[in-house]
Amino acid sequence: MNARLVYLTLAVLLALWVLVPIFLIATLALSDRASVFAWPKGILPQHFSLETISFFFGVEGVGKAIRNSLVVAGLTLLFALLLGAPAGYALARYRFAGADAYRILILMTRAFPLAILAIPLSVQFIHLGLYDTPLGVALVHTALALPFAVLVTGSLFLGIPKELEEAAWTLGCSRVQAFVRVVLPLALPGLTATAIFAFVISWNEVFAATLLTLRERTLPAFLLSALNDSPLPFRFAGGFFLIVPALVFIFVIRRYLFTLWGIANR
Amino acid sequence: MAGIRVQNIEKVFGRVKALDGVSLEVRDQEFVVLLGPSGCGKTTLLRIIAGLEHTEGGRVFIGERDVTALPPRARKIAMVFQNYAVFPHLTVYENIAFGLRMQKAPPERVKAQVDRAATLMHIENLLGRYPAQLSGGQRQRVAVARALAVEPEVLLMDEPLSNLDALLRLEMRAELKRLLAESRTTTLYVTHDQVEAMSLADRIAVMNAGRLVQYDTPMKVYQEPADTFVGGFIGSPPMNFLRLPIEGNRAKLESFALELPSPPPGPEVLLGVRPEDLEAYLEPQPQSFPAEVLVVEPLGPHLLLTLMREQQPLKVTVPPDFPARPGQTLWLRPQPGRLRWLEPESGKALASSA
Repeated sequence: MNARLVYLTLAVLLALWVLVPIFLIATLALSDRASVFAWPKGILPQHFSLETISFFFGVEGVGKAIRNSLVVAGLTLLFALLLGAPAGYALARYRFAGADAYRILILMTRAFPLAILAIPLSVQFIHLGLYDTPLGVALVHTALALPFAVLVTGSLFLGIPKELEEAAWTLGCSRVQAFVRVVLPLALPGLTATAIFAFVISWNEVFAATLLTLRERTLPAFLLSALNDSPLPFRFAGGFFLIVPALVFIFVIRRYLFTLWGIANR
Repeated sequence: MAGIRVQNIEKVFGRVKALDGVSLEVRDQEFVVLLGPSGCGKTTLLRIIAGLEHTEGGRVFIGERDVTALPPRARKIAMVFQNYAVFPHLTVYENIAFGLRMQKAPPERVKAQVDRAATLMHIENLLGRYPAQLSGGQRQRVAVARALAVEPEVLLMDEPLSNLDALLRLEMRAELKRLLAESRTTTLYVTHDQVEAMSLADRIAVMNAGRLVQYDTPMKVYQEPADTFVGGFIGSPPMNFLRLPIEGNRAKLESFALELPSPPPGPEVLLGVRPEDLEAYLEPQPQSFPAEVLVVEPLGPHLLLTLMREQQPLKVTVPPDFPARPGQTLWLRPQPGRLRWLEPESGKALASSA
């Protein structure tokens, strides 16, 4: 009984730890200027207004940063899916030498500290002409999103019985046709979730984006550099705009994330 | 329509030889059951014929075509899987139509074939449903209808009834028999259930440890097993094997003595006899031997007796009103026409048995 109480308390504290800042950012981003500076603040938004948000969008560079972020996240989504799904399919369907090692290697890329890579990567990108381009950032983000893409799609394809494909083969399908007609429709929700997750990873990533761009900043990188010398309402609005898509997407795909971590609730 | 011919099929999984030179011929329009315990290679053989598995040696013919190197789609086969493998994202109608759509059949033909297959399997009223809305038995019907709709040259079935509950299995078994007798499609059917094999097959191919052990009509396989494995695997309870000493050219056991069909291979011989082919008597009889009753099991249609004859256990079925009780001694008389003589060492049957 006691253990349960402790568990619940910790859970509530953890939830508050995450939710309170989000709540404050959200309420203040949707309030007028005066209430941003007001003290003490009310619990609920005092004066609902889009003034702060519209001010944020009016700042020079924000539009371009959002556009860049969308391009980078879109490219990341595309690359992560095109590279990750076939790898996941191979891991799910074929037993090959080194499959387990490969699986671990994929996860290891996530464990590699990006900070060590930072300088060599920048130098190399300058050589290749990828520095300060959305494509360059998208490539790094793809590397970050790929482990998840591979493992999630892997478990996804594993959940689709091989016999369905085999039945399609015996009924006149080539391997590609069987994949397109049988596996793809069944995997589509999961693939969408994988894509969204890759998008979110890219959308929220700051470090690589800051390091590899100068003028073509993504939104997080732009905000990071602009944050110190901008007014308070701008910070709240920017923070809000960063959080919302991630929250919404994660909420939509949460059951796939649960399966990824081995929590069965389907 | 076409027959199937496989020659010297070999398959190795790691260090295990799953198939060790299997040759088999299924005649046009024949229903052959591949029977064997799990791990004997029967499903692997079926999958090699379907093209789902590569063979490491040997050839596969369907009709006169050598299909060894062809992918499944070019073999003109259809397969029914153990877990049905009905496409969950398609309606029953689209499931059955799947193969025809892949052949780019004209819409009228698709419609006609789907309707015909659905009618055969009695699922006309389910065509608009999705597999998730069907019971196991109904999915099974969809799987069979889907296979029949393409009018394959050869129908391959991999334990299609094993996921159904006992009552449904009995019903589907009879229905499959009627259906395939009607459509006269050459069928190769894999099962580990010897009753299913007996009831369905024109011929049974018994497999053990990657080899084909016996290939004959059900009654021949039942009455004249090629070796102790077949006799022990087919029939429930299995065949009894009694080790008998040989005197001259005769095997002897108390007052029971019989001429051996061929020269005796050694000092002893195995007598194979089915539990229903031993007549039990309370008094000594000519041509009989005594055994002590250990267990009496009333099974409804008959009593199953477990007896002991000099450390050799025996199973015998007797009529339900037979007054048997444990500890009693009974005299057993084997029915002369139903006996099988086997060599004790190899377990193989002696040539031209009685």
